[in-house]
Amino acid sequence: MKTAPSTPVTTGYRPAVGQKWWTSLGIYGLFGLISVIVLFPILINVFTAFKTGPELMKTSPLSLPESWQFGNLKTAFETGNMLVGFRNTAVLVVVSVILNTVLGSMTAYILNRFNFKLKKAIMAMFMIAMVIPFYTTEVSRFQIIKSIGLYDTIFAPLLIYAGTDLLQIFIFLQFIEKISSQLDESAMIDGASYTTIFRKIIFPLLLPASATLAIIKAVDIMNDMYIPYLYMPSKELHTLSTALMTFVGQRSSDFGQLSAAILIVLLPTILIYLLLQKYIFAGIAEGAVKG
Amino acid sequence: MNYNLQKKFVIFGFLAIPVGLLMLFLLYPTVKLFQFSLTDWNGISKTFNYVGFKNYIAAFQTDGVWDALRNNLLYFIMHLVFIPLEISIAVLLNNKIRASRFFRSMVFMPYILNGVAVAYIFSYLYNPINGPFNALLDLIGLEGLIQNWLSDPGVVNYSLVAVSLWRFSGFHVILFLAGLQSVPQDLYEAATIDGAGAFQKFRFITVPGISRVIEIVLFLNVRGALQVFDIPFLMTQGGPGTASTTFTVYTIQSAFKYNNYGLASSLAVILMLMIIVFTQLQGKLFGGKEDN
Repeated sequence: MKTAPSTPVTTGYRPAVGQKWWTSLGIYGLFGLISVIVLFPILINVFTAFKTGPELMKTSPLSLPESWQFGNLKTAFETGNMLVGFRNTAVLVVVSVILNTVLGSMTAYILNRFNFKLKKAIMAMFMIAMVIPFYTTEVSRFQIIKSIGLYDTIFAPLLIYAGTDLLQIFIFLQFIEKISSQLDESAMIDGASYTTIFRKIIFPLLLPASATLAIIKAVDIMNDMYIPYLYMPSKELHTLSTALMTFVGQRSSDFGQLSAAILIVLLPTILIYLLLQKYIFAGIAEGAVKG
Repeated sequence: MNYNLQKKFVIFGFLAIPVGLLMLFLLYPTVKLFQFSLTDWNGISKTFNYVGFKNYIAAFQTDGVWDALRNNLLYFIMHLVFIPLEISIAVLLNNKIRASRFFRSMVFMPYILNGVAVAYIFSYLYNPINGPFNALLDLIGLEGLIQNWLSDPGVVNYSLVAVSLWRFSGFHVILFLAGLQSVPQDLYEAATIDGAGAFQKFRFITVPGISRVIEIVLFLNVRGALQVFDIPFLMTQGGPGTASTTFTVYTIQSAFKYNNYGLASSLAVILMLMIIVFTQLQGKLFGGKEDN
């Protein structure tokens, strides 16, 4: 069978030899079922968001809205602190992803291109960090954040998210290995400093690798709730996640408005997913197979 | 500036911030965790006393801790049971169907969605009064299965595990799919020429080809199952009573709700040791098969 070598992100249609129609039926039945399981909760949420209070009481929770009412969305957006949530989430995502990418690639550059005494020790530190449990470590991290005066500021989550980790370093290292060190050497003949080499040669060549990592990191940050919940309790510092938590806490009985708020929070990630899924899948493939 | 001197500057300059952040926000807190775990600190007062291993002994003697761990075990087992299914779905996505891109997007979508939003969507689905899930069971003639999904202590953990499966199974499928796509096609072609059947190809080409990904997923499963937090925290606060409390929920509540920092720190240390031990065990289990 002669097929063009497929890139890791695409899956071509390769019918198995002698595949029977009932096999296909079974397979499509299975994937149909999976799609229903995935979409059911989301669609119910959309329907509920567009129903009025009395309608929710009277009709089946599975039914389509009688008429699509935007009242819940409007209320949820205005009273749910959603605009503040959008802004803070955007700031956190953009700033920490940029910092994280720069710091991660700088670390990988040094670890790949230089030999020095503490290199092994530094790698070991990043490895130890891999087994430190999240959530429970907040018990003591909380005290440290408080004592250095970062509690209830946006800098607490920013600095926590900005830190690089072993997986990121590994992926960058693989890419740096492929960048010939002759490039560095010829730049050095021209008198370029190491900083210039990093800025002009290494970092630009790492950007494609960073793009996929950055998207995954961005999704993680956007969906994180515990760090903002713990470190930024002020209303002005709410993210989408914590704004939603507060809104739900205040009106746990009005399911129309709750669903509307949930829908507002879901929209940005769904949009990003639809637009950038190619990169997301590529990034996961990088991490899983080569990382 | 000559390159030797420059090298020292650039190494220090480039590593200072990343390593500084690592030490300040990860390693130092962990050291502090060990320290707090030996004290009776309440998290607020300026002073505390060292009490030796009292917190660790208390942790082992508290029923609540063991009950919580049993709940974690349920997450671990259910996700483990799903792994063969996830691999099968990945195999199907990899070669047999049209529209596999569309189904791939479908399968992965739950993982991308905001976790807080997902937890609250399911809270509503499980609602006992006119809730969508019970309405669905009614509609398809399974009204006998209607439950108090979140308020019945015997059911609540299964309801929450279902949310966890909904959210994370697709992520595993995509990891397996990535692994499958890295297996060179010509291996399969050569095997076909040698007369290998579908099962033999699966057993001798596919499984070894994705063993690394299987290892990653098992590691993620150990870590994930031991640290389940946001689903019970958001949906039930560990309730009714303590029926759906997980180890991490218990730890966080000890610290921030009951101000028992000493106990909470010892629990965090125990969790870290469990992660290390279980990961090693699993590594041994797998490393034995193929040591390369």
